[in-house]
Amino acid sequence: MLGQRKLKTAVIKFPGTTCEIDVLKALKEAGVESNIVGYKDFDPDKFDAVVIPGGFSFGDYLRAGSIAANTETMKKIKEMANEGKIVLGICNGFQILVESGLLKGALLPNLKMRFISKWVYVKVVRFDTAITKGLNKKVLRMPIAHTEGRYYLDNPEEAEKLAVFKYSDEEGNVKEEVNPNGSILNIAGIANEEGNVIGLMPHPERASFKLTSPDSQTDGLLLLRGLRK
Amino acid sequence: MTISLSSYELELIKKELKREPKEEELKVIDALWSEHCSYKSSKVFLRSLPSEGPNVVMGIEDWQDAGAVDIGDGYAIVMKVESHNHPSAIDPFNGAATGVGGIIRDIISKGARPVALLDMIRVGSLRHERNRWLLKGIISGIGFYGNSIGVPVVGGELSFDDSYTDNPLVDVACVGIVRKDKIIPSVVKKPGLKLVLAGLTGIDGLGGASFASRKLSGEDEIGAVQIADPFAGKIILDVTLEIADKVEAIKDLGGGGLAVAVTEMANGLGAIVNLDKVPLRVKGMKPEDIIISETQERMLYAVKDENVKEVCKAFEYYEYPCAVIGEIVEEPKIKFLYEGKEVVSLPSSLLLSPPIYIWNMKENGEQKTGEKPNVRIEDAIRSIVTSEDLVSKEWAYSQFDYEVGTSTVIKPGEADSSLLLLPNGKFLAIKGDANPDLCVEDSYECGKAIFAEAYRNLATVGARGVAAVDHLQFGDPKKPKVYAKFVEAVRGISEAARFFNIPIVGGKVSFYNENSKGEPIKPTPLIVMAGLSDKPFRPSIEEGLDIVLIGITRDEMRASLFTKIFGQYGKLPKARLSEDLISSEIVIQGIHEGKITYAKDISKGGLIGALWSIITKGYSVSISTDVITTAEDIYSKLFSENGGRFIVLTNDSQFFTKLAEKKGTIARVVGKVTKGSGIYIDSDYYDLSKEIDIYNNYLEARL
Repeated sequence: MLGQRKLKTAVIKFPGTTCEIDVLKALKEAGVESNIVGYKDFDPDKFDAVVIPGGFSFGDYLRAGSIAANTETMKKIKEMANEGKIVLGICNGFQILVESGLLKGALLPNLKMRFISKWVYVKVVRFDTAITKGLNKKVLRMPIAHTEGRYYLDNPEEAEKLAVFKYSDEEGNVKEEVNPNGSILNIAGIANEEGNVIGLMPHPERASFKLTSPDSQTDGLLLLRGLRK
Repeated sequence: MTISLSSYELELIKKELKREPKEEELKVIDALWSEHCSYKSSKVFLRSLPSEGPNVVMGIEDWQDAGAVDIGDGYAIVMKVESHNHPSAIDPFNGAATGVGGIIRDIISKGARPVALLDMIRVGSLRHERNRWLLKGIISGIGFYGNSIGVPVVGGELSFDDSYTDNPLVDVACVGIVRKDKIIPSVVKKPGLKLVLAGLTGIDGLGGASFASRKLSGEDEIGAVQIADPFAGKIILDVTLEIADKVEAIKDLGGGGLAVAVTEMANGLGAIVNLDKVPLRVKGMKPEDIIISETQERMLYAVKDENVKEVCKAFEYYEYPCAVIGEIVEEPKIKFLYEGKEVVSLPSSLLLSPPIYIWNMKENGEQKTGEKPNVRIEDAIRSIVTSEDLVSKEWAYSQFDYEVGTSTVIKPGEADSSLLLLPNGKFLAIKGDANPDLCVEDSYECGKAIFAEAYRNLATVGARGVAAVDHLQFGDPKKPKVYAKFVEAVRGISEAARFFNIPIVGGKVSFYNENSKGEPIKPTPLIVMAGLSDKPFRPSIEEGLDIVLIGITRDEMRASLFTKIFGQYGKLPKARLSEDLISSEIVIQGIHEGKITYAKDISKGGLIGALWSIITKGYSVSISTDVITTAEDIYSKLFSENGGRFIVLTNDSQFFTKLAEKKGTIARVVGKVTKGSGIYIDSDYYDLSKEIDIYNNYLEARL
């Protein structure tokens, strides 16, 4: 059966998820077959990859992502991850992955202690993950929009190993001045060692359309196309 | 809880009922007859606003709901503006957040998906601690709700004046998109439908409508402020759009709670509501509190019996309360029952026909005006560009998720209007405009001027205005001078709307905005206009471009930022609407033919204010004032805020000079964009690096 059909991606909608339609639109643009799936209706056997979009799942009550992390849905997603299927968490999705233990570390409140909405540059520092494999471009431009995005891991060496994206300037210089939230080592996104579970704070789906990108670049699509392979 | 009904109104009620009303009934009437819900002091004049047009698919019924406008290809936009001034004065965070929640529910109650929010904020100067506290709370409240619910805040205004010190203005507008044939009404036309209520009812916001319809008392009124829960709001949004096909009418529970929602939805028919069926957040609520509670995130649906199950099932998926609480009946009475007893039984007609007032009016008389001040040009420029109104608002909009929806073409801070991609491939521009400094002098000219300014702002991104909503914010209408200003503003807006042929498809009135000494705010009517364009446009600036001034600069200095700082003198600007129209046409054509890289309307701060938006993006400008031959006074050339004017950046200035001649106005090259961070005026150069620092850091440092 599996060999006969195209890879299919589930876009999970938790109560409070806000970016599922945007992600679906961008995945379509990237040529990825995908569906929005309500969190109670998710059947992992029907999908080869999962995207957990941004938003405020369960109102981000307690801690961003913490309630969603404890749902049955996440148990199923863990199984998928263990089978080597691709799991991508964007913004709140990243927070959920961290809260559920699928990715290491924590996402703390921004140093400025408030929501930050901004277009940023990130340097890609790992090319062995599902979404960065074979990527030609090394500095990508995408927007961030979050209150709790300051990545932290108590072991900086390990954080360095896991890091996939680092906040940088346009030329790819990773420096403190361009770190919007105070994350350790300027980290904007990480992946597990295997590279099939990836989380990032910037929104690739919002950098996937020429008309709405400030410089008409669609860097987000370059990442999302990884789900097509 | 205080009741706002007057002794005259109490008499009237007794006469109509031919009996003493019960306590519970009085509270219901108090809500329905509140200024907030009934428009009793404004209705007569509001009727003079043009609300119809060939593109209006759903007009407003008695000013309560959002109107809808055809935008082609089977789609319509729905728009609405509202304020949460009184609650925000007491609890800025929750006051502002619930304002966002309320306006979003107004849009979804038409079956439309909200696609954009605007926020227009006015507070007193940030020199005062309390104003800083207010502004911080207001901005984070708006962000908290808008971000959580996934509707982008794409633009707005942030402006300062000490008349708002005790009474900030928090205006939010929302635009939604809906298939033209899927618009849902807010009222029912026949009996028999079930009333379905979603959401929990609690004890917050008791008597909020009445509270908003009188002056702030200075006493503890926190109980009248509602608490925001955007997570619940998001569920209401998602589920309402999911079930929109299954319901006959939708009504948001806002001011006046169930009392108002049920009565207005019944629309002259009757309704019987069983209060025991209302899902409560706390035990032991009194029946009258259930009736008038303004707990947010609730929605009322009129549903055919056979669809009730399906509607509530959609809410059950999210474990959100949903219950049948009553039904629409033939007998024109609104009845609330509790434990089998009739708590309220009032004729619909009484509730829907509050007394209409036309208060006394008194002209303000000629405003005092002084001698022309003697200010060095350099000092004037430095003062103007560092005024609070002109500093960067990034501190505020960076707290808003303006990208969600992946449709925001022009981001906040980039131009005079936002621009969004619509599902039909067209582009929607929206902008809100007010001018309290002009309105305090002449609210009739001001009404015209703000309408024209909104039209010009849309033109700067290539869009033509198609619909507007208005928000009229004044002090106590019983004060003759305040009421006269109100009527004059309505006249001005109405005249301009007719001139531009743009229907007013909705609106709101907010009276009783006063400071603690009983002085009214500056009259603040506000226009939010939506426009359409077929062409995407993103502004850009580069060195070497010509700066072309379109329109006629006049010696009309009064009510400008310059005279606000240095003293009033000179004549008031008159709104010459055909100049606004002609100039806007030139700009729109220029954008559509690819001749413009950047356009800015001339308003706050005059020509200097407009040029400042170029300088702060990392350039110098050089200007020769000799070219401006239509005004004599150098202050006017640089700082006059008279309408009908733009600056545009282009490398084909002839296109504009010729087109202007053809259309009947003037366009001249007044200068060039150059390298640096200052301004050349004729032979003088002023470096503005220090001012640019202030521009970038002022709000961040103050807040």
